[in-house]
Amino acid sequence: MQPKKVLVVDDSKLIHKMFEVMLRSYALVHAMDGREGLERLHEHPDIDLILLDINMPSMNGFEFLEEVKRSEAFTEVPVIIVSTEGKDQDTVRGLQAGAAAYIKKPFRNEEILKLIERLPPEASD
Amino acid sequence: MAELQSVIDKAGVLIREVQGRSPDESSDTGHEAGDASGDIDQLKSRLAESETDLQETTDRMVEVEHQRGRLMSLYVATCELHETLDLEEVKRTVGEIAVELLGADSYALLLRQGDTDGYEVAVSRQTVGVADGLFVGPDYTGGDAMVDEALVDGVLRTSTEEGSHALAVVPLAIKGSTMGALVILKLLDHKASLTSEDRDLLDLLAAHAASALFAAQLFVATDRKLRTLEDLVEVVRGG
Repeated sequence: MQPKKVLVVDDSKLIHKMFEVMLRSYALVHAMDGREGLERLHEHPDIDLILLDINMPSMNGFEFLEEVKRSEAFTEVPVIIVSTEGKDQDTVRGLQAGAAAYIKKPFRNEEILKLIERLPPEASD
Repeated sequence: MAELQSVIDKAGVLIREVQGRSPDESSDTGHEAGDASGDIDQLKSRLAESETDLQETTDRMVEVEHQRGRLMSLYVATCELHETLDLEEVKRTVGEIAVELLGADSYALLLRQGDTDGYEVAVSRQTVGVADGLFVGPDYTGGDAMVDEALVDGVLRTSTEEGSHALAVVPLAIKGSTMGALVILKLLDHKASLTSEDRDLLDLLAAHAASALFAAQLFVATDRKLRTLEDLVEVVRGG
């Protein structure tokens, strides 16, 4: 199986390190905010999953998600929001904007791994 | 498992058919059916045992996966704390562990100011309007009973005490001397309380954050001295 390429957009270095350890069999691309995330996405058009934080400087997660879903090239890329924002309205906003799932931090590592395994085949192949 | 159950069910139907025949028809087959019936009961019992074993193994697998994830978090937190000698970065990492891994909405990291008995609020989050403003900074001058006690005796506290706004106080001690404390004041709304697993992280912070901060402070002081000496050498050479 080809390694999956995952874009991690989060302003926490700790979270980037965590995903690096958790997702060893995946090729990871890192971005510290939404704006950098969009740049990385255009540099790596073969990205097939995005793990996205909400509270970030420069461009927040919702704005990034809207850009991604507006773009014809990346609209099908599944996005999992992983955020400390736990209000119902945030979850609803994220899912309505096209996120595949919304995970609240602090998360259980196995929760994210299971979610990635269960993504539709076109997303994980 | 489902296939085996289906075979047993079919066998059961056959036995009932054989037992339903007339005595003449079934004089021989009756004994055989009786034996088969015993076998089926045995198989059913073994199937039930297998199902129990399978459930236990599944439960154990889930637990192992969970423990693996937990250890991964502890490993990453430790690595990040010791990855740099940049004091600001170590402080930020302590804050990130508090928010991202513990689920703290409001916290303050107190650090001893040089050789004095005073503490500064080195890093904090959402402290305005919390704990009577004791941790807004720039200095912490005392007033929270649990924090004050922890700064003196160096004992980690995880249950709210009277006279305190803190949910947990993690003293940062090195060589028996307390150099500061991480004070957790409020958790994120979706995090009900600190768990026993969070206690492991708090213990890790108590053990590793202090040494990481101490090493970074030492590096800053040494670097400053080195620069002063270099400047001095330049002046002497120039003179």
